[in-house]
Amino acid sequence: MTFKRIRVAADSVCDLPVEIVRKLDIRIIPTYVNIGDQSIPDDGAALDRQAFYRQLPSMRVQPTTSAPSPGEAEAFYQEMLNDGAEKIVSIHVPDRLSGVLNTMRLGARAVDAERVALVDSLQLTFGIGFQVWVAAELAVEGASLPDILEAIERVRQHTEVYAIIDTMQYLQRSGRVSSLVAGIGTLLKIKPIVRVADGDISSLARSRTWSRAEAKLKALTQDQAPLDRLAILHIDNRLGAERFLDSIREIAPQETHIIEVCPTLGAHIGPGSIGVATLNQDWRN
Amino acid sequence: MSSCRNKTGVDGNALKQVLASAIGQFSQHIEVINEMNVFPVPDGDTGINMYHTLQRAYSEISDLDSSDVAEVSRRFAYGALMGARGNSGTILSQLLKGFAEQLGTAEALDTSQFALACKRAVQFAYEAVTSPVEGTILTVAREATETLELHAGDDLALPKALTILVRAAQASLRRTPELLPILKESGVVDSGALGLVLFLEGLASGDGKLDSPEKAESPVAAGSGVAMDSSRDASYGYDVQFLMLGKDLNIAQIRQDLEPVGWSLLVVGDHSTVKVHIHVDNPALPIDYAVQSGAILDDIVIENMELQFRRRPWQETSSAAPPKHQTAEAYGVIAVAPGDGLRAVFEDLGCEAVIRGGQGRNPSVEDFLVAIDRVNASSVFILPNNRNIIMTARQAAESADERRVDVLPTTSVVQGISALIALRSFEDSGEDSGEDGGGDLDSAIGEMRAAAQQVCSIEITQATRDSHLGGLAIGCGDFLATSDGQILVAGATIEASVSDALAKVLKAEHELVTLYYGDGIQEREAKKLIERLSFTYSELEFDLVFGGQELYPYLIGLE
Repeated sequence: MTFKRIRVAADSVCDLPVEIVRKLDIRIIPTYVNIGDQSIPDDGAALDRQAFYRQLPSMRVQPTTSAPSPGEAEAFYQEMLNDGAEKIVSIHVPDRLSGVLNTMRLGARAVDAERVALVDSLQLTFGIGFQVWVAAELAVEGASLPDILEAIERVRQHTEVYAIIDTMQYLQRSGRVSSLVAGIGTLLKIKPIVRVADGDISSLARSRTWSRAEAKLKALTQDQAPLDRLAILHIDNRLGAERFLDSIREIAPQETHIIEVCPTLGAHIGPGSIGVATLNQDWRN
Repeated sequence: MSSCRNKTGVDGNALKQVLASAIGQFSQHIEVINEMNVFPVPDGDTGINMYHTLQRAYSEISDLDSSDVAEVSRRFAYGALMGARGNSGTILSQLLKGFAEQLGTAEALDTSQFALACKRAVQFAYEAVTSPVEGTILTVAREATETLELHAGDDLALPKALTILVRAAQASLRRTPELLPILKESGVVDSGALGLVLFLEGLASGDGKLDSPEKAESPVAAGSGVAMDSSRDASYGYDVQFLMLGKDLNIAQIRQDLEPVGWSLLVVGDHSTVKVHIHVDNPALPIDYAVQSGAILDDIVIENMELQFRRRPWQETSSAAPPKHQTAEAYGVIAVAPGDGLRAVFEDLGCEAVIRGGQGRNPSVEDFLVAIDRVNASSVFILPNNRNIIMTARQAAESADERRVDVLPTTSVVQGISALIALRSFEDSGEDSGEDGGGDLDSAIGEMRAAAQQVCSIEITQATRDSHLGGLAIGCGDFLATSDGQILVAGATIEASVSDALAKVLKAEHELVTLYYGDGIQEREAKKLIERLSFTYSELEFDLVFGGQELYPYLIGLE
């Protein structure tokens, strides 16, 4: 009898809490945050999130982020295969926004491309997290590869990720989402309410004040009920996240998590922001 | 170390030295590569990513003393693979891996092996990329290698082959904007491709070391050029490179003589050929020196780094009218704004035309008609942003061509900006998708009007004479705060006036105060004011924006 023939892997941008990662034996490969000369793995340990976000506004040079190297990807998969994985489902940050999938593909090819199913999550942070989480639950139950891939697709279709970006300063400097920052130059304190979907970030509304932005976020979140799982996302704004959760308490499911977004993503968005990742109950149907 | 170059080609130690020298040179160009950025923001990281990749690669061979060229190459490639950062770094690592694989077990590198290894490197890199994009590092690598292949039968020495490769890569680099429209639009070449060319140039200029290993610089010394460059932010100067040919050339002496002439100096070679690479303010000096020394000069290259820097796209100021679109937009916006800063705010928010004007400088109907004509859209919104300009705008709207022109009665720039943000937000929400019917225009106008009403504006100006107004005694030179045409307060200082005015109009729902500072105010001064206001009104958020308006030290929005 074989257990867990299929194993689930993801990059650290999925933002899954360590309890879930451990419980379901998910393997996470870290992306990197580059500060000056240093390249620090964003694995939740090497880089102190709170200190990083507190320092971010005063950093003279904006940190950059990068994918794991192909060699690291290869070693990562090799270890999983050595540990007995027959197949690997590897779910990642969108191709459109990052080079992670490309290096993971190189790594997969170097070990055995046939045994690694690469998935472009087309999502960010817990939007990836839901897919990884469900995939890992099914893998533990012994589901087949097609079943797992199909479930990931259903999860994706029932996921919404919304966020209020507190200041456009960081996105503008990062240059990754040019459509969103087009025309932003002088008035950085415009708070867009953004939606992550199809591997891209788009603006749903713009506000100059936090309360109007938050009212919009609340309405968007309520539209997603009934919820199967919910994550309240924040970047160095736990208080804001908790307050927001209180305002939508009546639709919060059992599985509700407050998540501080990883620096790989947070460096491009900046402190103060809050958001939600919702998974509607219909994903099970 | 004994002879590093023999009849059978380059050995491992020689290759290691050339790589060290090339990486050292590369480090001096990190910023130049970073700045080759298609986005108009100073965020490029291609240079640093490629440098990290190369540095990590070198760490694999730094302690290695091996004459085995294949081993050095293989370990260098392994290091690159492990350290690859960014797309360009990853592709570079694949090039190096392909190169190393082709060398196999060869102990020394000769020209024909070199050519084959380059070819394999390119194939390997192309295979590594899902959908290869032309006009990038890949194209440059491929075209350079193809040119080298044309010389396959020529029985060239390795340095010559390398020179051919570099020249071809440089030529290919210059063509990248033709292959990739976004490069052409931004007026840059591809940054990764530039990085590759600079690395190859470094290899080529380090080839002089192959004959005189004892004179090679340590990689650390050669790699320290970044700080030298960044400390010289005032001037970019000229990049001068040339070869000195002669007998009994003294590298140490040349280096010593040229040291005071410029910065980022590199002198490499042997007694008969010396390569000089230096950054200078006056390119005549190093060349003059070389000529005076009696050497023959060859391969002289002078590049103006200042111009290269200035040509960066975000430093261009284009005052040309926006290009006429093929298909007209549903609507366009015209705003009236005093001051360059406010003009920039409206333009950034997508105004098709900004008319300079405001209090004391009201635009004419004709000014509006000219602006309306410039807007390539089937209907036009006008934001007059001053109560004395609304009428003129309405007249212009009536006398305009058949197009629908709506005047939003905004009485301050603060209202105008709010209205414009609301319009953009309305577009984001997608409610305007589908038809561009009149109903949609009406909804857009509704959103703009509501937003303009939600913001409270305060203007700060200076009284020009003594007076009594609205129960206030105003002295000449006092700072007046007005709102909606009413005088709120008069104070002896700007700070007193702003602070008292805020106290007077502040409501519970207000959370953001935006100060647009005028052309008579220093940014430092404005920041200090904000600091003190934040202390008094700690529950409010403050935003400072350059307005550049005359007469009004501050225009203030409260929302």
